[in-house]
Amino acid sequence: MQMERRDFMKLAAMTAATGLAGSMASRGSTALASTQPPLPDRPDIPGVTWEKAPCRFCGTGCHVQVGVQDDKVVAIAGDRQADVNKGLLCVKGYHVGMILYGQDRLTKPMARRDGELVEIEWDEAIDIAAKRIMQSGDKFGFYISGQSTVPEGYAAQKLMKGGLSNNHIEANARLCMASAVTGFLSTYGVDEPASCYDDLDHCDTLILWGNNPAEMHPILFSRVMDRQARGEKITVIDIGSRHTRTTERADHFLPMQPHGDLAIANCIAQQLIEQDAYDHDFVEKHCNFRADRDPSAKFDAPIDHDTYVAYVKEEGASGLFGQAISFEQYKKLVSYYTPEKTEELSGVPASQLRMLASTFADKSKKIVSLWCMGMNQHTAGTAINNLVHNVHLMSGHWGKPGDGPQSLTGQPAACGTVREVGTLAHALPGGRIVKKEAHREHAEGFWNVPKGRINPKPGYHTVKMFEMLCTPTDQGGDIDTIWVQVTNPGQTLPNTKKLFKAKAKLKDKFLIVSEIYPTATTALADLVLPAAMWVEKNGIYGNSERRTQQWFKMVTPPGEARDDCWQTLAVARRLYELGHPGLKDKDGEYLFRINDDAGNEVPYWEWEHYYDINVDKALFDEYRQFTFLKHKNVAPYDELVKHRGMRWPVIETKDGQFKETRWRFVEGADIYVEKGSGIQFYHSVTKDNKAQMWFRPHQWPAEMPDDTLSLNLVTGRVLEHWHSGTMTMRVPQLRRAMPSAYVEMNPEDARDRGISNGDIVRVTTRRGELKLPAWINGRAKPLRGQVFVPFFDENAPINDLTLDAIDPFSKQPDYKKCAVEVSRLDQPHAYSPEDDK
Amino acid sequence: MLSRRELLFGRLRAGVSRAVPSTPPPPPPDDSPKVAVIQGRHCLAYRELMCSTCYERCPEEGAIVIERGIPQVVADLCTGCSDCHDVCPAPTNAILMLAPRPTINRGKP
Repeated sequence: MQMERRDFMKLAAMTAATGLAGSMASRGSTALASTQPPLPDRPDIPGVTWEKAPCRFCGTGCHVQVGVQDDKVVAIAGDRQADVNKGLLCVKGYHVGMILYGQDRLTKPMARRDGELVEIEWDEAIDIAAKRIMQSGDKFGFYISGQSTVPEGYAAQKLMKGGLSNNHIEANARLCMASAVTGFLSTYGVDEPASCYDDLDHCDTLILWGNNPAEMHPILFSRVMDRQARGEKITVIDIGSRHTRTTERADHFLPMQPHGDLAIANCIAQQLIEQDAYDHDFVEKHCNFRADRDPSAKFDAPIDHDTYVAYVKEEGASGLFGQAISFEQYKKLVSYYTPEKTEELSGVPASQLRMLASTFADKSKKIVSLWCMGMNQHTAGTAINNLVHNVHLMSGHWGKPGDGPQSLTGQPAACGTVREVGTLAHALPGGRIVKKEAHREHAEGFWNVPKGRINPKPGYHTVKMFEMLCTPTDQGGDIDTIWVQVTNPGQTLPNTKKLFKAKAKLKDKFLIVSEIYPTATTALADLVLPAAMWVEKNGIYGNSERRTQQWFKMVTPPGEARDDCWQTLAVARRLYELGHPGLKDKDGEYLFRINDDAGNEVPYWEWEHYYDINVDKALFDEYRQFTFLKHKNVAPYDELVKHRGMRWPVIETKDGQFKETRWRFVEGADIYVEKGSGIQFYHSVTKDNKAQMWFRPHQWPAEMPDDTLSLNLVTGRVLEHWHSGTMTMRVPQLRRAMPSAYVEMNPEDARDRGISNGDIVRVTTRRGELKLPAWINGRAKPLRGQVFVPFFDENAPINDLTLDAIDPFSKQPDYKKCAVEVSRLDQPHAYSPEDDK
Repeated sequence: MLSRRELLFGRLRAGVSRAVPSTPPPPPPDDSPKVAVIQGRHCLAYRELMCSTCYERCPEEGAIVIERGIPQVVADLCTGCSDCHDVCPAPTNAILMLAPRPTINRGKP
């Protein structure tokens, strides 16, 4: 205990300033807060200067005011001018400044020599990286992040696809929102939500699909709870397999078994059709029907559910975009999902399913559906994303303020960097893909590289890339080098023993890691590059509601830590000097040439000159040209400087102003919608301005509980920590509040196994086992048969145990479903690999 | 079996994180009786921010209760251990450890 108290005193300076800011942070609308006097925009602390930045943590995209004194972040305040959070921050956000000041920041490049990491100079480090990349050729992979800034992502993308003709570039967002992307693409023909957070201020019904925003997106949830506290009636319906902090505030809890969501969404459609309560006008004007296969190719009349499932099993799915089917066929297929049948498949009582369907049937309601990892980390992730769009389209609860589906992201630039810049193996910036010749030509044009420079074959997706790294070269492992930036795959990939830790034995494989602190990833790195983070560098993020957010460097990074973007560009320059032909454009100029106002080339690849010019601005304004094709127009850099983020498409008006878009595809809100059409899905897959309503059958998870391993393992985040805890575990307040991982069990499952609260137990899956304390009736209570383990704790690497099964379209792994057993330490081991032989 | 108090603290003592700053000497122990008081103006839960750390980590069953997300100390059950104060993650610590109010003698012997 005393140790904690001492930490607290040591850090009192930062805390006091933060606290002062914090005490004024309420949006001033709850009964409790409104008794306080009105407060100024930011605290007036002598000697402290303030600047805006988006919070470093989640995809909500709150803005903070960063207080700086003597080249150090000394205070954080919620930004009252920010639309997203209106001055409020969550428990992580208030402490975001402290993530810079953990004691073990990496401050010097290191190379592995005889098994040990030894300090080297930057020049040598860049040289090692460049030569290794040169030698690896197409065996090199670049793995970046939904926390990489937009310019970092763009530089990496251009280097790989435009310079090295290598499509093995991926980002950790593959593990996080890839299924949301394939869902949006196959339903609307273009990625990213049409709605925005304003809907939370207008809805009267909030439906949570396997989502726990009270812990994961607290600012957004508080936006709704705050309205409730003021006396507004908002019905919260929570569909999930775990009774959470969110459930405590819900009016209805629908206890769902894993993959029950697929049946539930189909059941809503079945009920809307059966009761003739669907929105005929909306469906007729704006929707087509689609499925993996069109049975009319083989059958004369519409076929029933089981015949269809057998037919698709035999023929295989016809790609992400499937085939058109008739409404009659769709109707026949969903008719299988009666409330009674769905109760059987999902565990949710038929009466509750009827209640849910009647909610959608009620045209007077304003319904927002929220989802995040529950639907995305799912081996039928694309399918469930399609199905939730379906129920909103079918019921006409779409495209009105407070009425529509809203997908949430977990990372601050999963949208801005990964989805929009396209830092994935198959993508090019601005919604383009490498497979399409026209798209490659656009990119080759913007980059001024010769035709044919961009490789038309998609690279490896994340799971495959790491599998190839961990497969011996003589057994076909054709990735031999990966450069990891701004993420910690050693802790966050699924089945990490297979997909990451196996690299330790393979001496010819090479791992380059740009990091801020030692992690499970740097533990296996051959070259470690110390990175600047957050307000130690310029940056741009893009949040879940299409909001692009810019900030400036405010403090000097520690030691020799340098910007990730500089690292990429310095390696690019070294490759150019080494004579790599890809680093020249078609006129023989350097691919990443940046000129100053006088037209002279700036040698920004030398660190001392990096900030002679704003490299972020140069890269971002170049990237901006890519964004118009799919109507994802981002604002110019200088415009972003003036705002707390702007939601694209950002439209330049006649008088030179820039105007953001709140609702896409909706007349009056989105300028690209033709007059008189009301709603127009102008990137429709079927080129007729219509969205696709998909039939997607229920299917079981990839690994189900059985006699040996009789429970299901769910992993996820907790309120206090963000992802692998690299940052938040170094904030004493957050670490004290949530110091270590645990296994959360249903009390009856615990009792059956003789487990009491606090017992250290053994958690076993087919991939391995882990000892954890059991937490029963704590913060959340899983349904019977479910257990939950958070993944933030590097000392309890739960991803050693998770399954690496992926969605067939999005290639996103499922971290929420695998067979597990929990047993007392004095009991025999539940499973050994021999059992399967 | 671990006690409720040890449940989450136990592993921390093993010295997991490397972010612990070097530490000045501890303040002298204060053994006078105390009771926890939650200051609403500093408490994150009062702003609908879903914090429940004090409630979760209180070692005395029932000494901190939560109603509609708002934690309250039941003074009669509070032992003054100050665990809640030590773990409070609010930017300004929301929990004061005060001397208990003197018991009012209502004319009974």
